[in-house]
Amino acid sequence: MFQGLANGFGIAFSLTNLTFALVGTLLGTIVGILPGLGPAATISLLLPLSFKIGSPVTSIIMMAGIFYGAMYGGSTTSILVNIPGEAASVVTCIDGYQMALKGRAGPALGIAAIGSFIAGTIGIIGLTFVAPPLAEFALKFGPPEYFALTLLGLLMATLLGGSSIVKGLIMVVLGLLLGSVGLDPISGAIRFTWGFFMLQEGVDFVTLAMGMFGIGEILINLEKELTTELVTRKITHLWPTLKDWAESKWAILRGSFIGFFIGILPGGGAVISSLVSYAVEKKFSKHPEEFGKGAIRGVAGPESANNSAASASFIPLLTLGIPGNASIAMIFAALLIQGVQPGPFLITEHPDVFWGVVASMYVGNVMLLILNLPMVGMWVQLLRVPYAILAPIIVLFCCIGVYSIRNTVFDIWVMGIFGVIGYFFRKVGMEPGPLILAFVLGPILERSLRQALLISAGSPFIFFSRPISGALMGFLILYILVQIVITLRKPRVGEN
Amino acid sequence: MGRVKHPGPGFLPFGLAICLIILSLVLIIKSWKGDVSLGPFWPQRSWLRPLLGVAFLIFFALVVQWVGFLITTFVFLIIWMGVIERIRWRTIVSISVGTTVALYLIFRLFLEVPLPMGFFKW
Repeated sequence: MFQGLANGFGIAFSLTNLTFALVGTLLGTIVGILPGLGPAATISLLLPLSFKIGSPVTSIIMMAGIFYGAMYGGSTTSILVNIPGEAASVVTCIDGYQMALKGRAGPALGIAAIGSFIAGTIGIIGLTFVAPPLAEFALKFGPPEYFALTLLGLLMATLLGGSSIVKGLIMVVLGLLLGSVGLDPISGAIRFTWGFFMLQEGVDFVTLAMGMFGIGEILINLEKELTTELVTRKITHLWPTLKDWAESKWAILRGSFIGFFIGILPGGGAVISSLVSYAVEKKFSKHPEEFGKGAIRGVAGPESANNSAASASFIPLLTLGIPGNASIAMIFAALLIQGVQPGPFLITEHPDVFWGVVASMYVGNVMLLILNLPMVGMWVQLLRVPYAILAPIIVLFCCIGVYSIRNTVFDIWVMGIFGVIGYFFRKVGMEPGPLILAFVLGPILERSLRQALLISAGSPFIFFSRPISGALMGFLILYILVQIVITLRKPRVGEN
Repeated sequence: MGRVKHPGPGFLPFGLAICLIILSLVLIIKSWKGDVSLGPFWPQRSWLRPLLGVAFLIFFALVVQWVGFLITTFVFLIIWMGVIERIRWRTIVSISVGTTVALYLIFRLFLEVPLPMGFFKW
């Protein structure tokens, strides 16, 4: 393991990889700060580039940097403008903005950056030690286990993620159906192509992702005028005082562990972990009345949690080949584009990719601390760049990017159509995250389901009789039952 | 489609279609019962700007092959910022020039993507 990590640092410290790690973390910070452009959309914009960047390590290092870098940047906008820079910083608005109103924007930004660094590093240490044994364990998984895992991941992603469970589930089903377009991997039959030859290879992931996330997000943002009014221009006292530090150190540690364990879960991720961490901090505080009025722990906890969750969510991707959220699904696709199959064999077959990316994350966190502490004032200026200028540039980037994959204008049209669909999905409150996740997981789900049923000669009990898949399915059913009970009891609570 | 014993290519899609029917029915019933709050779909002409955005995207896709990347990109930026947003013209022009050059450098020279060049054949 330490041999691997040492080799990884050798790879991460090559000039190319250092440069791309810096580019990734820089971009991550920027999109984290800019409201209306999330890490998933940004990674989708850069997917066409991953065809051009030579080695898989380098492109994954950059994309990973965007993902965890965005967790740092998001807090800045939450604190200074009261708009979350990206989804995982929603709760930071509550107390972060209050701190800024009281003239304590500096310590809020400072503790967010320091907490992010500590938690991010704890998350990567966890990744370093948990991933290899987990991958070894996952070698024992057969089709039933994979089926149970993917199903669990999809359901958790919808139940934990969106506001409406029914809408989330519809997105999952649509994503699975879209994923089944093209040649059937087992029998070779052609499905859902309606005679279009271009569809035989299936719907292209990059085109779908850029349309749904890139174009769709721009169109929905065009509706509203995104104005950003800064609370304060001068940011001083970034380094928290001893009192701030004493108040937040345990919040940071708790946040780190909450984030880590939620990040590992299938369907878990940075967004949920920050919400849980905030709830925990409020619950266990001696002064819960301070929350909502500028409690520093309300910033330190969630900002730590989302970073360690971001690091931890690489674990299911790199050991099981099962992405847990939309951004990780994009990285999953990037690995496939580069010819690296994510799964339990990744660490043994592509040790350079695994250890190179892990090592680069240690380095990237240090870069981010430097980018976000002394240089935060510079990034704040970014908030003055109006969305009006960014929107057409992003749309152009999408068009040229999608064109560059196969050099055909046809793909621009397909992306545009997905963009309009994505716009309407958002309009009716259906987040496209679960759809993308289901699209990626669809082939895994289908293959494992059909293989499992072939093994068991049609008996669905195969999913319950094997210990690991049985436990997973048991947990799944229990979780659904609990969820149903909660839903049924809700109206009565409302009447009281 | 096949049977449970020997699931064919239509097995999962069939199951998914059933799920989709059930879920849609649930959603319809929920909206009947008034669980879903409905505001106006597009309040205050808010459909206009997204529609313009789509129109410009279609313009780009239609024109880029004939006129070439450089001119199309430049015109796209000018009309998008000029029509959808109200910014000073000097800003619009300088940003359009800058972005066109930057995209050309990134995609054509750095990534060596064969962009459609139209009249300009270099």
